Amino acid sequence: MTQYRVLPGPEHFLPPAAASMGIYLPNPGEAHINGVIVPEEKAYEEAARQFLMAQVPTIFPGPLVLWAWNEKAAKKAAAVRKLYEILKECVQPGQKPMLIPMPDYRPKYPKINPEVEINPNHPNLTIWHNKIDCCMFIGVHCHQANLSLKIIRGGTSCYTVAMCAQAGHEDAMLSFRDASVEKILKLGEWIRKLKGTVKPRLTTAKTSASN
Amino acid sequence: MAEIKSHIGTQNKKGQTYTDAWEMMHEAPRNPSFYTGSEVIKEALRRASCDVMIAYPITPQSEAAALIGELFAEGYIGDYFRGESEFAVMSQCAGAAFGGARVFTTTAGPGTMRAMENFPMWAGARLPIQMIVTCRGINSPLSIQPDTIEISYLLNTGMLVWHAETAQDFFDWILKGFMVSEEPEVHLPLALCCDGFFVTHTKDVVNLTPADMCLPPYDPYRSPVPCMDMECPPVRMMRDPFIMKSNYISYATHASWQQEIWAAVERSRKHTIKWINGLIDTENTDAEVVIVASGTAVSQGREAIRLLEDEGVRCGLVKVKSLRPWPGEEIREATKNAKHIFVPEFNVTGWLAKEIKATIPNSERVHAGPHVCGGMTMPPEIIASEIKAALGLRSESLAGRGS
Amino acid sequence: MSKERIKISPDLYDIMPSDYQDLVQSATYGKEDRGWKDIGTSKELIEQHSLCAGCPESMAFRYILASLPNPEDTVMVGSTGCTSLVFPMVAVHNIHSLFGNQNAIASGLKRALSVRFPDRVKDVVVLAGDGATVDIGLDMTLQAWFRQEKFTTICFDNELYANTGGQESGLMQKGFVAKMAPVGKLFDKVRLPEIARESGCHYVVNCTVSKPSLVEKVIRNSVLIAREIGPTYIQLYTPCILEIGKNSMEGLQEMRDSEKPTERFAYKEYVSEPAKQFLAELAAKDKERKAAAKQLAGKA
Repeated sequence: MTQYRVLPGPEHFLPPAAASMGIYLPNPGEAHINGVIVPEEKAYEEAARQFLMAQVPTIFPGPLVLWAWNEKAAKKAAAVRKLYEILKECVQPGQKPMLIPMPDYRPKYPKINPEVEINPNHPNLTIWHNKIDCCMFIGVHCHQANLSLKIIRGGTSCYTVAMCAQAGHEDAMLSFRDASVEKILKLGEWIRKLKGTVKPRLTTAKTSASN
Repeated sequence: MAEIKSHIGTQNKKGQTYTDAWEMMHEAPRNPSFYTGSEVIKEALRRASCDVMIAYPITPQSEAAALIGELFAEGYIGDYFRGESEFAVMSQCAGAAFGGARVFTTTAGPGTMRAMENFPMWAGARLPIQMIVTCRGINSPLSIQPDTIEISYLLNTGMLVWHAETAQDFFDWILKGFMVSEEPEVHLPLALCCDGFFVTHTKDVVNLTPADMCLPPYDPYRSPVPCMDMECPPVRMMRDPFIMKSNYISYATHASWQQEIWAAVERSRKHTIKWINGLIDTENTDAEVVIVASGTAVSQGREAIRLLEDEGVRCGLVKVKSLRPWPGEEIREATKNAKHIFVPEFNVTGWLAKEIKATIPNSERVHAGPHVCGGMTMPPEIIASEIKAALGLRSESLAGRGS
Repeated sequence: MSKERIKISPDLYDIMPSDYQDLVQSATYGKEDRGWKDIGTSKELIEQHSLCAGCPESMAFRYILASLPNPEDTVMVGSTGCTSLVFPMVAVHNIHSLFGNQNAIASGLKRALSVRFPDRVKDVVVLAGDGATVDIGLDMTLQAWFRQEKFTTICFDNELYANTGGQESGLMQKGFVAKMAPVGKLFDKVRLPEIARESGCHYVVNCTVSKPSLVEKVIRNSVLIAREIGPTYIQLYTPCILEIGKNSMEGLQEMRDSEKPTERFAYKEYVSEPAKQFLAELAAKDKERKAAAKQLAGKA
């Protein structure tokens, strides 16, 4: 059994891929938290808690939901929007939920505008600029999601969640698999359920841990 | 694009039924048939729902590549043609895979080397192409004879690399290989290697699955990267853009990309273990002497073990089936009791022994050999003799008749 | 992809960057007679790129992308070079894999798309530089033509290796002094248009990109002929102003100078017999369509 755990960074100059550290992906019906396999139900609760705890909880929808390339994609997009609305309803004053797209994967030079988008080649710029401390990827192709998740873990302290339509992501701190409209909405229900029970980290000064 | 739907239970234009792959490989009745390795490749492809196969002549894979052409003429393969060189063929395979096809090809020896630039590109582009490598010599002077040296060049390309011992392995692993390499979290090319001639040109009894069953088709929309067919987002998409502006961020992206390739190799472990029943096979690994081998060296090792048994020497066997992913933990466990580990190989450098030495504790236990190369056979007697010599037992000279 | 599929999910439309909102609103995907005149009145299929200011290659890219008859069902294949700095910004799926293998990639791609979409039009267009087309990739360029692969090959001929810093290429003029040609290039510019004709191309054009209307006609013809009949080859002069010592505003004049009747980029065209017949049929249909439209307009 590996001792490695997938935790918020900044982890390393070049953090390893979690898969290379012995972290396995969950099987259907399961999820993982920090690289440990858990029943999916537990992951909903933890993801909701992380969102409600964060100062800037953010959803990053990717091309697979941003574009209405089939009916299912458009329905998932509606669910993502709903989740964002729920998040806005459930946070406390001082918390600032965001919805920022990853519209494509191309390297943009000299750099992207971090206020309006996130890019897998330098996702840390968007995290830093908006002071995002918890984020969820959804609808991003798995390869590009993993690039992003590793770079974020390497250089930021952001908590990462993956709502993946395929087998999940070890490089996120928490990952669902086989994402569907129902699962997105179920996460919304959990956020509603935990509303008011989670104390947000509303600090303006830097914590000593990030020095 | 149409909504993703299951094809299981429906028929293709040849009247074959798309069958759940696990059911087809593990539960369907098997029919024993007497075939050459090349014919077995053809029979596997008949059942593989392959969209595109691209061929080029080079011994000893030419026969298999030509037989698949017959399958195309019969309507079992979507498209088939002869490319102009292995470099071009591997790029044509890439083009077809970028376009969302299930792609198959075969090559050997100098052809593998000529095509080499393509393989890290395939892996980096996450193209689940399957390539049969019927190994032969590569250095000058030219040799068409079996020699596994080319496998060592494939080990660091990011491809999955399996090494078949028999025609039966070949039949099963071609079909199972598509299932492993097409998993969305794996989605890497597979080099399915065998020792040329020994496997391709000898006849063996092979248990085939029913010819009226075939694998479900490949679904390119589960790919971890966008398929290049203008049917899926994002519309502004290049496979794969350069990330080489001189700054730290670009380097980090490329580094992360490389790590992702090897992470995908790691993720294939779970699926490979499931489909080919473990990365290694073991027999009697409680013995003090263990042979670890891959390909036909396993068969020769098995014979040597029989010879040694007759002389009262007990010897275990580890058959390495997958080289990438590398069965490090499995080999450590299987050799933990061994005082002597012999690694017979059909190549001059002993790449398998080097990999094993880098994996296990107390690597001085590894005897790298015996080695043969350039098409020489490896009589079981020379393996037995080398083992006996190491154990301090007397053995006859096998080099010739003496003066 | 049908034009309707290039659509942003309504629930997330407001958060998409404006260049994508513009793309779905006013790009000319699916427009029957799209062409260079759409430039300026519609969203182009090319976003901000990093080519040098005034690079004729960027003009060529804009005209070509405006002229593709069927961009919503076109996949492009590039190769290593300056073009690959532009391709990520192009709103048509495109592939770069290795240097020089573009016609091999396109061969596999076209066949895969034909297997997967037997009843649909899927155009494949190769666009690569002269080093990729004529030097390192010549084998695969020619072999694709020998096999009569049904796609278009466009060569951006800047007569040198621009992206690596101005080295000698096969399409460079004899005598030109460049890196790796320290005493001047010792052999003639390779005559690829003639080789293309002999290799089985059905439509071959050699010209510059000084006239957008001409580029539009040539690109449209080459894609339609490749779709229906067989391989086509277009060689376009896109001078590297940087490497031939010109200023940003001098690219257009350089092309005009090079297309004079006695110069190496004087307009040359070859059309095979089947392609001629096809173009005649196309023209007749076009005429019929226009007449019908006129009649309809008259009635209204």
